[in-house]
Formats: sequence, structure tokens, C-alpha cells
Amino acid sequence: MSKLRFSKRDTKDFSLKEWMDGTDDPMITGDIEMKPQRVHKDDFQTVMKHMRDYEKVERHLYDSDKNMGVRIFNKLYKVSSVIFTILLIGVMLYVVSYLPPVGNASNPDNNIVAQRYIENGLQETGAVNIVSGMILTYRAFDTFGETNVLFIATCCVMIMLMLDEKTLKEQEEQVQNTKYAPMNDPILRFAARILCPVIFIFGIYIILNGHISPGGGFSGGAILGAGMCLYANAMGFTRTAKWFNENVYKVAKITALCMYGLIGSYFYITGANGIENHIPLGIPGHILSSGIILPINIAVGIEVACTMYAFYALFRRGGL
Amino acid sequence: MGILDYIRYFFAILLISSGLILFIIEIYGVFRFSFVLNRMHAAAIGDTLALSLCLGGLMLITGFSYTTAKFLLVVFFLWISSPAASHLIAKFEVTTNENVTKHLRKEEIGK
Amino acid sequence: MSTIAYILMFALIACAISVSFSKNLLNSILIYMGFSLIMSVIWIILESPDLAITEAAVGAGITSLLFFITLKNIRAMKGDEENE
Repeated sequence: MSKLRFSKRDTKDFSLKEWMDGTDDPMITGDIEMKPQRVHKDDFQTVMKHMRDYEKVERHLYDSDKNMGVRIFNKLYKVSSVIFTILLIGVMLYVVSYLPPVGNASNPDNNIVAQRYIENGLQETGAVNIVSGMILTYRAFDTFGETNVLFIATCCVMIMLMLDEKTLKEQEEQVQNTKYAPMNDPILRFAARILCPVIFIFGIYIILNGHISPGGGFSGGAILGAGMCLYANAMGFTRTAKWFNENVYKVAKITALCMYGLIGSYFYITGANGIENHIPLGIPGHILSSGIILPINIAVGIEVACTMYAFYALFRRGGL
Repeated sequence: MGILDYIRYFFAILLISSGLILFIIEIYGVFRFSFVLNRMHAAAIGDTLALSLCLGGLMLITGFSYTTAKFLLVVFFLWISSPAASHLIAKFEVTTNENVTKHLRKEEIGK
Repeated sequence: MSTIAYILMFALIACAISVSFSKNLLNSILIYMGFSLIMSVIWIILESPDLAITEAAVGAGITSLLFFITLKNIRAMKGDEENE
């Protein structure tokens, strides 16, 4: 259905799709020919000449025997760096001497807020794990910012390191032909075939038990991402792309972020205006309990796992 | 404490102390051997045998519970992951090191 | 604080200093991995297992993996240097 609709030219849907795909820009009228940038390559002779010139200049500049200024600067630099370091250490130790001892009852961190979290945390959030209840309900806005940071970081890495599909395919063929690539190793494949399910299940367990036992979205997502890195290393990127390619990545990541945003904003709005929210807290200690913590944990877990795997794949070969 | 508990503790102490001795041997080997494959062998001993002996002793002390099952999973995990990692290191070393014939006999890697 | 916490903290300081003083970049990454592992044990001693899990997975696992790949991509590993 959607294909039929998009196939007509001069409709708004079609132009939107073109703009999303990047094939057409409505701001530019007329046809433009898109050419890939040519790789700038210097002649070998000119490179050598530049290097020789640079060396000559460098030798002249940093010749400490003839140049009086360089000698004085070198000595001054060493002395001032040592003095600066000692001063910094002194200032830090001076500040540390004013810190209160650990575990003292009259410390400033034992204030009304901490008392409230500890006393009413279980009733208000329904989470047995106080830390999880704190960071995902009382301070959910902070965690939302952190999740956004992860999203923006992967976007930046994708802008910098993403390659087009043609180059990726050539690269993949090169890797597959080499005998010593880790993906052609039968022992690693066998180990990964046994270990990957265990790692995935452990990560999912940590995410789902975030409100009962230590853990939560960030730690569980990191474990899931590490398991995916192992899978990609052992089985190769082409096999990983069968179940985790760029489209799955986009859908999973944006859905998780939007889910967090929706649930979180419902919670902020009802909480700020004193309205009763209709998410049941359940019995503490059960899996389906503690209101918004479980769905938010799942969203954060998906986000972090996608981020970790995307970082690895982009650094390793420049594409998901 | 009955006589069975004493026997259990005796075996647990035996397992843990042998594991610790193996750990000491491992660390000594890692720092003293000069060739990579020898060092890798020493480290692999510590990762598989010594750690599983120590965890076995701890399992004997605590008795069977939910935590013991987790210990068993840890041992299972290490017994698969550590040999695979060692194998990859050894393969990498043998294929990239040009002076590997100094330490190995030639017919072993030639065929 | 127990004695083992003090020992671990001194090891932490030693790791932090030796990261900056080691000549080989690969060695500094390995020492940094050790730093993260010691840090995760210290988090457990300070009774925050949440942070310990995250530190072990992110600090020792994925950060060092990314560092290794970066070193490989900029050809700063020791073997590549010798070949060129």
C-alpha cells in the first residue's frame, strides 16, 4: 500500500519521502548532479619535499645550542610545570582536609531529601532497590538527559565515521578473504555460540530486575552491548546485520527514547500538578511492580545496548 | 557442629588453599617467563583451574543455594571464555611474530 | 574502612600514575582496564553494586575495546610501528 502511494510523483508524500532519503532537497530548484568527493592525493615527490622542508625548519627552530630563547624556555617550562603540579596537589590536599569523615551522622549529605528518599521511597515508588527508585522516579529528568546524551553521541559518531554501502561491501569482502580474521576461527565461533545466549539472558535479567536487585537499564544495556560485540566479532558483521541492521537500530533507538519521553512527561506533569497518576505501583518485590520504573528501565537498556554496539561497529568498520 | 561439617570444612580449605597456591604460581609465571606463549599458558592455568578450585571451596562452605548456582555459572563461563581468548592470543602471536622459531621447534608450526 | 580497601586505593593511585608514565599506548590501556576493575571492587566495598556492575561492563569492557580499535585504526600498535 505504502509503496503504491509513494510511487506517484508530485504528491506531498513522495516529496517528503525523497527529502527523508536525502535524494532530493526542496530548497534547491532544478536538478543537481551528486558527485562523491574525490580523495585528495599528493605526489610522492612533493610530500617528501614538504617533509624535508618541515624538518629543516624544525631543526633550525629547536636547536638549543644556538638558540638562546629555546634553552631558557625549556628550562622555564620544566620548572614551572613542577611548581604548578606541586601547587595543585597542595590545594587539593588542603581542600580534602576540610571534608567531613565518611559515615558521620552530621554530614551535610544526610539532609531532609536523603531522609525522605529512604523513609518514603518504598511507598512512593514501589521499588525495593532504593537507588533505582531514586534515579528513575524522583530524578527521572536527569536520567532522561543522560539518555539524550547517548543518543546525540551516537549521532555525532555516525556523522563522522559512517561509510557508504559500496565501500562497506568491498571492505567486507576483503575481511572475509583473509585467513586470520577472528570471524574465520572455529573455536571462537563455538565459544560465541555458547556464550552469547548466556550473556544476553544475563543482560535482560539485569534490566528486568532493575527495581528489585542491583542493576538497571545502564548496566544491563552495557552487558547486552558487550554480548552483541562478541557476536559480531565471532560471526562477522554480515551475519549480525541479518537481525541488527541500520533500520532496526533506528527504530529501536528512537522508539526507546520516545517511550521514555512519553512515560516520563506523563509522570512529570501529573507529579508537578498534584494530580493522581493511574500507573499502579503493585506489590513491592514482584517483577510487575513499581509503576514506571520497569518500562523506563527497558527503554534505557535498549538505548544503551544500541549505543554500545553502534560505537563498536562504527569504530571497527564504519557502518552498522 | 557435627563431624560432617568438619569434613566439609576440611575439604573446602584444601580446595581454596590449593587454588591460592596455583594463583601464586600463575602470577610468578606471568612475570618471570620471557616468551608470550609460556606467559599465556601460566595465565590460562590461573583463569581456569585456580579460580574454579577457589569457587568450589566457597561452594562447599555455603552449601547448596541460589548463590551456588550462580557460582557454577561463573565457572562454566570462565571455562569457555578463557581458553577461547588464550587460543586467539596464541594464534595471533604465532602468525605475526617473526622470531617465533627461536622458541618453538620448526616442524611443530610448519605443518 | 577495612584494610583491603586501603590496599586497593593505593593500587588505584599506582595505576593512575603509571598510566601517564608508560611509554607504550597499549600498556596504558591495559593499566586503565586494571584501574576500572579495582574501582569496581571498591564500589562493592562501598556498598553500591549498581555502580560496580556498570563500571566493570563499561570501564573495563567497552571503553578499552573502543581504545583498542582506535589504536588499530590510527596504526599506533607496537607491531605496526616495527613494520613501517
